[in-house]
Amino acid sequence: MDKTLGTLRRRAELGLVIGAGIITSGAYTLASLGENSSIPARIVPFLLFVMSLLLVAHIAVRYLARGADTVMLPVAALLHGIGYVMIARLSDRLAGLQATWSFVAIVAFVLTLLVVERVSDLVRYQYTALALGVGLLLLPLVPGVGFASGGARIWVSIGPINFQPGEFAKILLAIFFSAYLADRRELIREGHVRIGPFTFPELRHLMPILVAWGASVVVMVGQRDLGSSLMFFTLFVVLLWVATEKTSYLVVGLGLFALGAVVAYNLFDHVQTRVSIWLDPWSQYTESGYQPIQALFAMANGGMTGSGLGLGNPSSIPAAHNDFIFAAIAEELGLVGGTAVLAGFVLIVGAGLRTAIRAHRDFEKLLAVGLTTILAVQTFIIVGGVLRVVPLTGVTLPFMSYGGSSLVANYVLLALLLRISDSTARSVHEVPDTASLAERWAQRQARARVAAKVMS
Amino acid sequence: MNSRIRHLSLALIALFGVLFIQLQRWQVFDRSELEANPRNNRLTLREFNSPRGQIITADGVVIAQSVPVTDPESEFKYQREYPEGDLFAHVTGYYTLNYGSTQLERVYSDVLAGKTAAQQIASAGDLFTRDDTSGTVITTVRADLQRVARRELAGRIGSVVAIDTRTGAVLAMYSNPTYDPNLVATHGNSTGDVLLALQEDPEKPLLAHTYQERYMPGSTFKILTTSIVLETGTISEASVFPEETEWTPPNTDNPIQNYGGKPCGGDMIIVFARSCNIPFAQTAVNVGPDAMVNGVRAFGLEEKIPFELPGAATSTFGGTAESFKDSLALLAIHGFGQGSVQMVPMHMALISGAVANNGTMMRPYVVAETRYNDGRVLSRASQNTWRQVMQPATAATLNRFMQEVVNSGTASCCLQLAGGIQAAAKTGTAQLNPEGEEERSHAWITAFAPADAPRIAVAVMLKGVDAEISAGTGGRLAGPIAKKVLDAALKVIPATPSETSPTTSAP
Repeated sequence: MDKTLGTLRRRAELGLVIGAGIITSGAYTLASLGENSSIPARIVPFLLFVMSLLLVAHIAVRYLARGADTVMLPVAALLHGIGYVMIARLSDRLAGLQATWSFVAIVAFVLTLLVVERVSDLVRYQYTALALGVGLLLLPLVPGVGFASGGARIWVSIGPINFQPGEFAKILLAIFFSAYLADRRELIREGHVRIGPFTFPELRHLMPILVAWGASVVVMVGQRDLGSSLMFFTLFVVLLWVATEKTSYLVVGLGLFALGAVVAYNLFDHVQTRVSIWLDPWSQYTESGYQPIQALFAMANGGMTGSGLGLGNPSSIPAAHNDFIFAAIAEELGLVGGTAVLAGFVLIVGAGLRTAIRAHRDFEKLLAVGLTTILAVQTFIIVGGVLRVVPLTGVTLPFMSYGGSSLVANYVLLALLLRISDSTARSVHEVPDTASLAERWAQRQARARVAAKVMS
Repeated sequence: MNSRIRHLSLALIALFGVLFIQLQRWQVFDRSELEANPRNNRLTLREFNSPRGQIITADGVVIAQSVPVTDPESEFKYQREYPEGDLFAHVTGYYTLNYGSTQLERVYSDVLAGKTAAQQIASAGDLFTRDDTSGTVITTVRADLQRVARRELAGRIGSVVAIDTRTGAVLAMYSNPTYDPNLVATHGNSTGDVLLALQEDPEKPLLAHTYQERYMPGSTFKILTTSIVLETGTISEASVFPEETEWTPPNTDNPIQNYGGKPCGGDMIIVFARSCNIPFAQTAVNVGPDAMVNGVRAFGLEEKIPFELPGAATSTFGGTAESFKDSLALLAIHGFGQGSVQMVPMHMALISGAVANNGTMMRPYVVAETRYNDGRVLSRASQNTWRQVMQPATAATLNRFMQEVVNSGTASCCLQLAGGIQAAAKTGTAQLNPEGEEERSHAWITAFAPADAPRIAVAVMLKGVDAEISAGTGGRLAGPIAKKVLDAALKVIPATPSETSPTTSAP
């Protein structure tokens, strides 16, 4: 029975993954038909490429995390596929680059599953994660290495490679926070300092959190990256709240957020600009309002069922392949397609939180919450920005936007969520808790030592 | 912690719910408002990236078509092309994304784009195959006659109009200067600059001078004066005018002279053929301001030409009955087409056509038929009378007068048609310069043929921009052009009017 459950999960995943591959290839063909009225010349290599990437990812899960959740990988692959089709439809050049990044992302996914065989391993590296995370976060501010593009200084250039270290920092900080809070949640909860109706933990317990929070302020002030800053802040507050089960943290968090928002609005021009575009893009149509208004026109053009892939004009939205990819998708796939994409994210978020609830160890629980929150909040910030629910702040749409850092980081995040879910399945004996590669290596070494002893 | 995680999941789902609601707002509730926003060019863009049909001449030459863009980096799928370059610029017009469209591209845009109700219904069954619904427009204008017109104008500024007198179908309408619509309808950023340069050109190449511009008609206007005075009975065919060199109209000291200051007179038909000025000045004054003003109105002056292409000009007599009552001298010179009389070249062709057509002036049209994508006929032009401008008897008299112009009068030099076909014509040399200044005159001719069973009417007008044109007369300068156009047209337009159809089959 043990064996069957794992097999069933993986078999279902295989079916879904193949489905995602077929939908992606179908969408790719439709986009080409819509654009040029011809079947794409490279459809067979494309199909093979997509299928082999997906199968590699699936096989990695099958052998390295056979008890893991079923839906996360296929849904992420589907979102990734639809995003890729839209990027390919917008620009051939970016399509080639994104294909390379997709390959790298799958490799990173497999490597993560391979390297992180036990979630608990990560706990040991929590301060390494903190140092690395804060380091990466601050890296764009280092002269000569970091550079600004599109108003935000969030890029790092090392040799020929440009990347956004913030995408990786978010995972590292989630690891640190989860480990730190899992260790000290009781201490922090039983706070000793009482101010009015609230009790707070001693300052020394809060220090690392304050450091991380400070980093997020630095991100906002130094890098002008409001979206990421909001994302980090939400991550800290949510993890504190879940770990301590104290609503006061939520209240204080919201208060700090409100305070920060007011201060930032009054201190920084770019924040005021963002807010005024959000409130009234029409009066700034020829300048900064152009992009969000083109996005609205695109979505209106799509209507209920969309213009059809390859038949809309998403290229009239500046940066449609990146921050505004959701508007491009809503134009060509309509309300139906846009809703499907949102539903896909809800599915992943749901699976992530289910993983958190099922997890037994505090660290695993908190890490699953943290990673899922990052994914959900990042999606909300950018889609909400495009839809004018919140002021627009440039973050990527996970799995869908063009960009290597984002894609690789989100596949790593996905691998960690799958690892946690697999870990839970093992600990409740849904699947046999076989030894990890490292453990088997250690066993072999031990046996060898014993054998050597016996031999001698 | 699990209860907190459940709360968290509710909160996150609520956030996504907000996104979903807002998505509906843009895509459903506010959709029509956003689509109607003047800044939203997506509807135009959508149309711009849809297939668009051809415009084909009556003799089967494609003069506008959309070809697929081969550049994969281009954000556009089609490029509008005008294979004949500047030859049909004033017929097809141009079609651009940001600068609108003109002429047939504008007026027949729905047909070309396949957006008329009939075309939409016809293609309703093809909802999922997304068949090309674009339509084809067939013009009455012929490429062969346009080419003759362009060749004979030989770069001189002026207009050539040819119509079928029986139907009002425009067979040729070519004017210099013109422009190449291919340069305007590019996808690049040059469109605005090209258009601006064309707009600022003092000779107005964007204007279809054949029907969007008006000029002093000179003696060609005597057709109208003659018709009016004959019908009012002020004079008759039998009237005789003495040889005179000068005549001073009432209330002025400035005498009126004949062309070149020569003595001129004789029978009515002779003064018409020789184009004496004094008889027409005298008769215009005799018939009086009211009759003249009402008379020219009957010819459609002071009224926009009812043409299906946009921006038609209005011919004008240049004054009201009241204003002429104060100055009969002015009425006198207006009587032979000088002063502030202004005629649209196409109108002049229509007036000849009316003389040819027993006094019935047809409404001009330029589209013979439109077709569905599969070649079936979508609509066919109907032939309508614009106005009855004179009695058939008057028309018959004028026909004879105009034949005499060709046989012994001002056009005798130049309008002997091929195959001995008898033409009928009236020339005009409109003097633009006040006395004492450098000679400047437009050269006009309007004619029709065959005189006994008319089919084709033409008007040719050369603008008096330089001394060379101004030194010539309407007969000598415009006559040969009219002859070539008439010869060519008579060869291709059959004696029995048929439904105009192109010689090639639709794609």
